[in-house]
Amino acid sequence: MSTKGTKIPDWLTVPFAGITPAPSQDKGQNLFPTGNWRAIRPVYRDKLPPCNNACGTNEKIQGYLDLVKRGKYLDAYALIKEDMPFPSVTGRVCYHPCEQACNRGKYDEAISIRAVERFLGDLGQALKHDVVKPGKPNGKKVAIVGSGPAGHSAAYQLARMGYKVTILEKSPKPGGLNRGGIPVWVLPPHVLDREIERLIELGVTIKTNTEVGKDVSWDDLKKNYDACVLAVGLTEANSVRAEGENKEGVLYGLPFLRDIGMGTSKVKLGPRVAVIGGGNTAIDCAREALRQGAVEVTMITIEANEQEMPASPEDLHDMLEEGVDLWHGRAMTAVLGNGKVESLQLHPARFSGAINASPITIERGAPAEKFAVDHVIIAVGQHASLSWLPAEFKNERGTIKIDRFGRLGDTNFFAAGDIAQFGSGQPLMVVNAVGDGKRVAFNLDKALRGEPLQPRTIAIDVIMDLNRMNMTYFPHFPRVHQGMLNPFTRKKTQDEVIQSFTEEQAVEEAARCFSCGTCNACDNCYLVCPEPCITRPARSNGLYKIIVDYCKGCRVCIEECPTGCLEGVPELDFDTGVVRMDTAFAISPGLHGRQAQELVNLSSRPAKEI
Amino acid sequence: MATIEVQRQILPILASPNQGARFYNPELPSSEPFVPGHRTCAGCGPSIQYRMTSKAAGDNTILVGPTGCMYVANSSYLCTPYNVPWAHTQIGSAGSFTAGVAAAYEAMIRKGKWKGPYPNIICEAGDGSASDIGLASISGALYRNHDCLIICYDNEQYANTGIQASSRTPYGGMTTFSPPGPEVPEGKKLFPKDLARMMAAGHPHCYVATASVGYPIDLMNKVRKGLNHRGAAYLMVYTPCQKGFVYETPRSIDLARVVVECGLYPIWEWNPEKREFDYSFRPQSIRPVSEYLKLQGRFGHLHAEHIATVQQFANQQWKMIGVELPEALVQAADPRNQVNMAAAAEAEAIAETV
Amino acid sequence: MPTATAAKKKTVRINGCVASAQAAKYADVDVIAAYPIRPYTATMMALAQMVANGELDAEYIVADSEHSQLSIAHGASSSGARVFTGSSGVGVQFAYELYSPISGSRMPVQMMIADRTLDPPGDFGSEHTDALSTRDMGWLMGWACDAQEAFDNHLIAYRIGEDKRVLLPQMVCQDGFFVSHITTDVELPDSGQVREFLPPYKHPYPLDPRHPVSHGPQIMPEQGPPLQLERARAMEDSMAVIEEVHKEFGEIFGRHYDPWLEEYKTDDAEVVFFLQGGHGVTARFAIQHMREKGLKVGMVRLRTIRPYPTDRVCEVLSKFKVVGVIETNMALGSPASGGALYADACAALYEAPERPLVISFMAGMGGEAIVLKEFYWMTEKMIQAQKRGKIEKRTHWVGFEE
Repeated sequence: MSTKGTKIPDWLTVPFAGITPAPSQDKGQNLFPTGNWRAIRPVYRDKLPPCNNACGTNEKIQGYLDLVKRGKYLDAYALIKEDMPFPSVTGRVCYHPCEQACNRGKYDEAISIRAVERFLGDLGQALKHDVVKPGKPNGKKVAIVGSGPAGHSAAYQLARMGYKVTILEKSPKPGGLNRGGIPVWVLPPHVLDREIERLIELGVTIKTNTEVGKDVSWDDLKKNYDACVLAVGLTEANSVRAEGENKEGVLYGLPFLRDIGMGTSKVKLGPRVAVIGGGNTAIDCAREALRQGAVEVTMITIEANEQEMPASPEDLHDMLEEGVDLWHGRAMTAVLGNGKVESLQLHPARFSGAINASPITIERGAPAEKFAVDHVIIAVGQHASLSWLPAEFKNERGTIKIDRFGRLGDTNFFAAGDIAQFGSGQPLMVVNAVGDGKRVAFNLDKALRGEPLQPRTIAIDVIMDLNRMNMTYFPHFPRVHQGMLNPFTRKKTQDEVIQSFTEEQAVEEAARCFSCGTCNACDNCYLVCPEPCITRPARSNGLYKIIVDYCKGCRVCIEECPTGCLEGVPELDFDTGVVRMDTAFAISPGLHGRQAQELVNLSSRPAKEI
Repeated sequence: MATIEVQRQILPILASPNQGARFYNPELPSSEPFVPGHRTCAGCGPSIQYRMTSKAAGDNTILVGPTGCMYVANSSYLCTPYNVPWAHTQIGSAGSFTAGVAAAYEAMIRKGKWKGPYPNIICEAGDGSASDIGLASISGALYRNHDCLIICYDNEQYANTGIQASSRTPYGGMTTFSPPGPEVPEGKKLFPKDLARMMAAGHPHCYVATASVGYPIDLMNKVRKGLNHRGAAYLMVYTPCQKGFVYETPRSIDLARVVVECGLYPIWEWNPEKREFDYSFRPQSIRPVSEYLKLQGRFGHLHAEHIATVQQFANQQWKMIGVELPEALVQAADPRNQVNMAAAAEAEAIAETV
Repeated sequence: MPTATAAKKKTVRINGCVASAQAAKYADVDVIAAYPIRPYTATMMALAQMVANGELDAEYIVADSEHSQLSIAHGASSSGARVFTGSSGVGVQFAYELYSPISGSRMPVQMMIADRTLDPPGDFGSEHTDALSTRDMGWLMGWACDAQEAFDNHLIAYRIGEDKRVLLPQMVCQDGFFVSHITTDVELPDSGQVREFLPPYKHPYPLDPRHPVSHGPQIMPEQGPPLQLERARAMEDSMAVIEEVHKEFGEIFGRHYDPWLEEYKTDDAEVVFFLQGGHGVTARFAIQHMREKGLKVGMVRLRTIRPYPTDRVCEVLSKFKVVGVIETNMALGSPASGGALYADACAALYEAPERPLVISFMAGMGGEAIVLKEFYWMTEKMIQAQKRGKIEKRTHWVGFEE
């Protein structure tokens, strides 16, 4: 008998007939770690989508679009509310820098983010109870001066943190620029009213007809509150310093709109109206003028063409559609008429340097044009009114002197919104004011808790290059457009011009989002891994894991990641999860002996569910 | 004789990952019949295919592995990656061993010797097994209509033996059995066997389809359709081999899309009920073959006329599935509109200096 | 242990092929893999009819080749089914690739062989070369000499091969035509007896989705030897099982076989024929004839060639002066330049203190019967060698020499 006296040494023990028990599902086969083949390791590293980065308040736009795609509207609304107290407002009025930054714009057409935001905002408005709740009261009181976008935002965030917030508003109605600077056919008053109700539901007190410097003094603020946010805005209209600007019939943009918005306007416009200025307020004024009875409205700008105008192109388009005439390269040098404006004197003009940020060169030697009008509305910016502010906190620009955290010296006073951002290079837009209010609220909280304040962070990795994503996964799809009222009829009414998305439209449009640089749990990496060594306990960003013991570094997952959130990092950069060469051969003493034993015990193991 | 009726599984069809403008894979089955730790090359196409296929099939599955990469590299050193029963069989036994497993389960369930729904029985044959040595055995299994799915994971060559030409190796493909040289500049002179079509034509009662790992959900659904089909089914799946094709490993899926977009791997289904081909699958775009060829080292030696020849072949494939040829592709079939591959041009330059 | 149902057995007049088919039916096989080649075809024809008649519930597969037959058998056996297949002649060869994998994976596939001469040229007659060429592939193997023994061998082989201590495939052989196509009385047992003798097949590690395992993964070179050693051990350990099972078979069915060797008139024999298969039947008649002439001749018929009963062969054959091996097979260029049985017999005898002379006879080739005259001629050669104390030459081509 040849096999008599033979014995297989332990280290060579193999299972019966080489029949190998199945490996465990979670640990892999556990015998042959192939991770040491790898030179480059895939790593999930979310980048900042350009929309989030461009947003004045850094709304998690990609995040809520992704939730809308999945029909999780309430979650999407809750996410937007992290950074934005009134998405129903910004969903209508925002100049949407997100859409300008949207990577999809380079591919076919940018996502209609604002329309989706409005969809979510309106959804929030319809809720009986808001998803946002006040924080646990911390016993501290904060005053907010001004109920415009920045004040509203700061009050909202502070209330969520548990502060007892009081807003002091000098106007009879709260809302600030949201109410006084935006025509009702863009933002119907009931929408804003509802958002202000939401703020009051959070426990915020709003005192209207309360003006700082008149009804409340600087010292009152200091004495009665633990801290204060000054969000007073730029309330005073700029003049163009033309001769005869004091004549009757000369109006200023913001007060013109504010009086209509507050319902206190007494103006009856003549048939011919000129608007001086090329920004968004000027456009709103021109369009409002049509609705206030003007027949011929002409906009006169220094800028040499439409592209140079610091205005939203859609709004400009809508204005022209409504029949407003647009003249470029002219400055109003005098208002002519006998006590009342009868005509304007215009001279050729241009910016001497950068558009909208440099002195204006007016060719006074050139022959003047005379342009007959009944009214002229001047909309060339605003400035502050700060007579109540102690001199030590005033700066040379005529606004409040603050540090990079928005704080006034070492006081518990902070400033936010236009008053703080004017001249800082930030656009003076609603969303920027909201963002400023939010950041100041957080710093105010830190200051009161004695923690170091946080400067505005600069995004490190904003994904802008389409080559970092996989465009194969994104078929070209046209942008879903919002419905609009007919320009010939709408210009005579106060009806909201732009219509809301239906649910289907919102989902269809959100579905166009690339989720730039951010894992949206599409499962593609999980599906294409040849090992497969990508696991996820549930389908969610952050739960995808690579079993580095086995990953061979083929990088298929990185290549096939539609959004570009997966990236390759050289293995040499790691000191954890590295599979060393000495583990390359798992055939170690007793290894297959264990398998052999496992096989023998197979029938006593519980049967697998099939 | 009292017999027990055999219960058969019906697997649900997965939704498309492109729902309108959105790319998002549908909910995938949770089971993992294929686990990591095998020794396939990084980025292995057949391995990707194995992962998708086994996931689509689920846990009540038995896999049969005729000799090939998925045997040699996967089950090395008794380190199996298969979490469902798997058996090696001889390279020529693909169809017959599978038939044996299928017959065994038919009989055992019927006779009460095994209790449970009839398992998914899947044979994973490489193209060497499927198109050459095991062709008859597979044809036999299809003809006899055993309730099983036979998959040809087509990497267009014998890969684990060191890249030799199979009857699926494309024209112009360099392998160690079809090297290019001055007398044979194109390398492989023969065109590939039209294997799947042959299976459909010869076994019209079977569900037959082609697929590519570049379209995972399509592939997984075809696996499920094949398994749901009562009787034999056959699937031929394009699975790139980075070792043999000589490309950068991250491109495994990409290549599997481009091959379809270039018309070199038409994706279709044979409907056994209607007895007709379904050619409705269309790639997102249509491209000239040079875009596929240039990604791979195995075509690096091709001259302009060879590329034009491949384009002519692709154009025939497009016509076969009813696609009207764009003018650019007609032009590309003319050698005057093609240029040599870089390596071929380089070789010529060197030859001139010698 | 005779059973109460023994009364239900019956005797039928059938040939070897049909006897094999009947055995498969009694064994309640689950999967049958058929492919036509003469002469074993008749077995599959009979089984096809049984399945068609509903007498046997089995998957009957008409394979596309012998290679596929054996692969189907391998797959079915790996799944836990009892399988039956068979072949003849070059068909056995066509399936050659599968013999080692099946025994290496320890699957107790059963294959019926009705021998046929290998090509060339096409000859339907029986030579044992077809099955013998696979004899070292790890299959249990033995020859029956008549239809009854063939029937019994199938049941015995299933029982041995499926024993947990063995788990090896079996080739159950019979001579083409001499056994396969000649009808004789065969006693068919009661199915209760068979159920008692042969429990249902149960491989410990089949392809079962509830207990997943991988069959036949690749190994490293150093993992080969332990697996080969275990296969060798199974083959050797089967010997005890073979003896045990034959004993139990005798108790249940009343037919008692020596598992290894049939000795015929060897008590006082000085020269013996050493052979296997159907020629044993003619040899018995020839020996009776020669005994009447006073020649001290006997026969030793090998019943099981794998595992080879080396010690038994040594013990039995060393009692005689001369052993004449009747080959009925071709082993071209082999030690005796004749057949394959000679070398095994000589190897078995090598350690014997007293070795007989051994001569190899190439007789019964091409399916020809060995006639009485030839038995006399071969006996004469053995007696001459006994007298001379030396053989004339190792191998004789019977019928072609003076």
